[in-house]
Amino acid sequence: MDDERITNAEEQSTSVMSRAEREEQAELERIEQSQKEKAFNPRKVTIVDAEGNETVVDMRKKAKFRRQPGDVIFYILDYAFFALFTILCIFPFYYLFINTISDPDMVSRGAVNFIPKGFTLSNYQKMFAVSDMWQSVIVSILRTILGTATMVVASGFVGYLVTKEEMWHRKFFYRFLVITMYFNAGLIPWYMNMQMLGLTNHFVAYIIPGIVAPYNIILVKTYIEGIPGELQESAYMDGASHMTVFWKIIWPLSKPILATIAIFGAVGNWNSFQDSLLLMSNEPKLRTLQHVLYVYMNQASDVTSVTGTGAGDAAARSVAAAKTIKYTISMVSIIPILCVYPFMQQYFEEGIMLGAVKG
Amino acid sequence: MSEETKLPDREPVPGEKTDPGEKNTPEKKKSEKMKVRYTGEGTNKEPAAYLFACQRILALLAFFFIFIPSFNPARISENIRNSISLFTSAVSYSSIVTNFSFQLERGFIDAGIFYLLYAGAIVTVLGIIAAGVGICMSLGNNRVKHVSFMVTIPGSLASLVGLTLIYFSYVQASAVKEIGAMIPVGLPAYAILMGVILVLGVITLLVVPKADPAEDFEMHTKYQLFLMFLPFALLTFVFAYLPLWGWRYAFFHYKPGEVLSMDKWAGSTYFVQLLQNSATRRDIVRVLGNTLAMSALGIITSWVPLAFAILLAEIGNKTFKRFVQTFTTIPNFISWVLVYTIAFTIFSTEGFISNFFGSQLGWIKPGTNYLMSDSHTWLKMLAWGMWKGTGWSAIIYIAGISGIDQQLYEAATVDGAGRFQKIWHVTIPGLMPTFMVMLLLAVAGALSNGLDQYLVFSNQANMAHMEVLDLYVYNIGIGSKGNIPLSTVVGMTKSIVSIVLFFMANTISKLVRGESIV
Repeated sequence: MDDERITNAEEQSTSVMSRAEREEQAELERIEQSQKEKAFNPRKVTIVDAEGNETVVDMRKKAKFRRQPGDVIFYILDYAFFALFTILCIFPFYYLFINTISDPDMVSRGAVNFIPKGFTLSNYQKMFAVSDMWQSVIVSILRTILGTATMVVASGFVGYLVTKEEMWHRKFFYRFLVITMYFNAGLIPWYMNMQMLGLTNHFVAYIIPGIVAPYNIILVKTYIEGIPGELQESAYMDGASHMTVFWKIIWPLSKPILATIAIFGAVGNWNSFQDSLLLMSNEPKLRTLQHVLYVYMNQASDVTSVTGTGAGDAAARSVAAAKTIKYTISMVSIIPILCVYPFMQQYFEEGIMLGAVKG
Repeated sequence: MSEETKLPDREPVPGEKTDPGEKNTPEKKKSEKMKVRYTGEGTNKEPAAYLFACQRILALLAFFFIFIPSFNPARISENIRNSISLFTSAVSYSSIVTNFSFQLERGFIDAGIFYLLYAGAIVTVLGIIAAGVGICMSLGNNRVKHVSFMVTIPGSLASLVGLTLIYFSYVQASAVKEIGAMIPVGLPAYAILMGVILVLGVITLLVVPKADPAEDFEMHTKYQLFLMFLPFALLTFVFAYLPLWGWRYAFFHYKPGEVLSMDKWAGSTYFVQLLQNSATRRDIVRVLGNTLAMSALGIITSWVPLAFAILLAEIGNKTFKRFVQTFTTIPNFISWVLVYTIAFTIFSTEGFISNFFGSQLGWIKPGTNYLMSDSHTWLKMLAWGMWKGTGWSAIIYIAGISGIDQQLYEAATVDGAGRFQKIWHVTIPGLMPTFMVMLLLAVAGALSNGLDQYLVFSNQANMAHMEVLDLYVYNIGIGSKGNIPLSTVVGMTKSIVSIVLFFMANTISKLVRGESIV
């Protein structure tokens, strides 16, 4: 009887033990998983002592046990700080937006502060009635598309070429490219050069100087160097030319980095106004949206002539309209970036990381 | 040029791996490559190599001069604008005749002269380009070289024919008084250049031994790669190195729109003026003060993104973290013009601050325009810079934190380290290398604050404290004063000092960290 009981109990206890072991195993796996996930705040730590015994310490419980008023204050301050900073970053955009969709009269009275009043889209209609607005939007879009496309293809191709050790004087030509990042002749010589080349007041002035982008070339080069060389070698063995290897192997494989530089390039092109300001002074038709906005912002309140409200309106009314139209132009320039950004954020972050690798 | 290697008469067709007799294709290919390399190097050692080198250099010059207005051989009249190059003349007929439209309409001038000129320019440009292509091809083996002569020689001949056409149109034009005909420098210069290229082409044709017809069309890989790279090297040269030629404006009394000539030589006048003219000197001191002050403020606050990243890492709620990171980086992606617009909507007379805190709450005097005042200009600029850049600069540190070995934190926890001790002893040392690089780069760029920010925020009221070097160069060069020589002098000095600073930073980095920034 007793024996049976004992064996039974033994059996039970062993089965319990094994279950506990299994649970422990699962727990350990889970801990490993969670440790991988929670990179910053390791909550559960496995400590291995000299004899190889493993102890799991749940830091969360410990932390709860040790949580002091100081910790609570720290968290409150930390969250409050970031909440405030984020509001500081978003609010101006929101404020701009609600002003563009509100009645210009309400805006001029200063009644629009936190919520739009007198909803209307007339500002957007009026904005596109301004004579050179469509033109500048088209110029901006065209330069963004063409400039980015040529830059990406060129960066990809040149980035590939400079990885080729066999190239004639490769080191020299690579340095020849890279040095231009840290050195420039200055604004006036650059301007005089563009003038000498006949690129002032010409659309191609937006595209051609941007084709070779040394920084992006470095990024692509670093990326391509990380692609296993065997892929290229086997292609060469099969008699492929450099062009074929580039288009069929390198181009598809380096799409992540190409996407990253494409997005940076597109944002840069959309935002750049210095070249337009300097080179298109005599050609208002070729000004970019940013440049037109700059001109309007500089005209103080004297945008009434372009709004086409006519002489019949009260002066105050047109001044108000002019102000909201300025806001509307800004909003139109910001919208593409606000729309694109959330989807492309990972690329932006990858981009800055790749840049950091190279320094 | 890579097309040359794929000509159909090539014996072992690539990709024919199924052929039972060709089992050791890779070895065969390799030996073939070796052979090509040998012949490629072989031709280089012959005397013809020097002739080819001369020809290539001359062709490069001829190619560049196509884009330089001063060397335009088609400017056969003083009335043709001096800003158009041979390339422009060959591309657009209207650019040649802009100043003659009236006379042409009335029939005072025979339009045939300009058609002839236009045709001449086109033929010249096409000829030069053909000659250039041929000379590029001459980098191949003898087989390719003999094809290249069939391109180079007719090409240079064609360009000479084009130049002759231009000369004929000059002869016709000199009969008409209104045109004001003259022989441009470029015409004889180009004639000599292309003549020499032609002669060199003929000599090399005779010197280079006849190719074995059984030989393939081949070019050494290194030259193939070089030729593919060449267009980009040319672009870099034109847009990054050629501007250095503009430094000559620092030594001439030059006014916009004039033609530069030696009788305007000024020597070091403008360099001396920079130091001795009291008004200019006062300006420079003020501008340098602004530049260095704003850079110094930037450097002093360069720890802010680091702190931002560390504090953000302490936040446990992932959604909140993501949210913060997304929205604090957005300002980095809008241009300075838009930042100014935003500043305008918030801080101008009728902006948010004035409306809400002034009119509605009555805390401050309504109708204040904070953008038009000169108080705390440096700090305001710093604040805008931080508004725009902090979130973005923090990303690199956020990534750095996730790269720190977790075992370090675990060890610190076991040792009983608290939150701040872990930050101080683990996180900050882990991020230090990145921080040092950023700091060094900031120091190296101390003179280059950029133009955009200060240009858009500057106005009559705050110019005294806003004008940094870049803005000063812009204002005196392109703005109202139009003093190109002085502005070039300032820009030149700045560029040189900047590159010296950069190399110093690089050397420090090498000494301290054992690796360079570049």
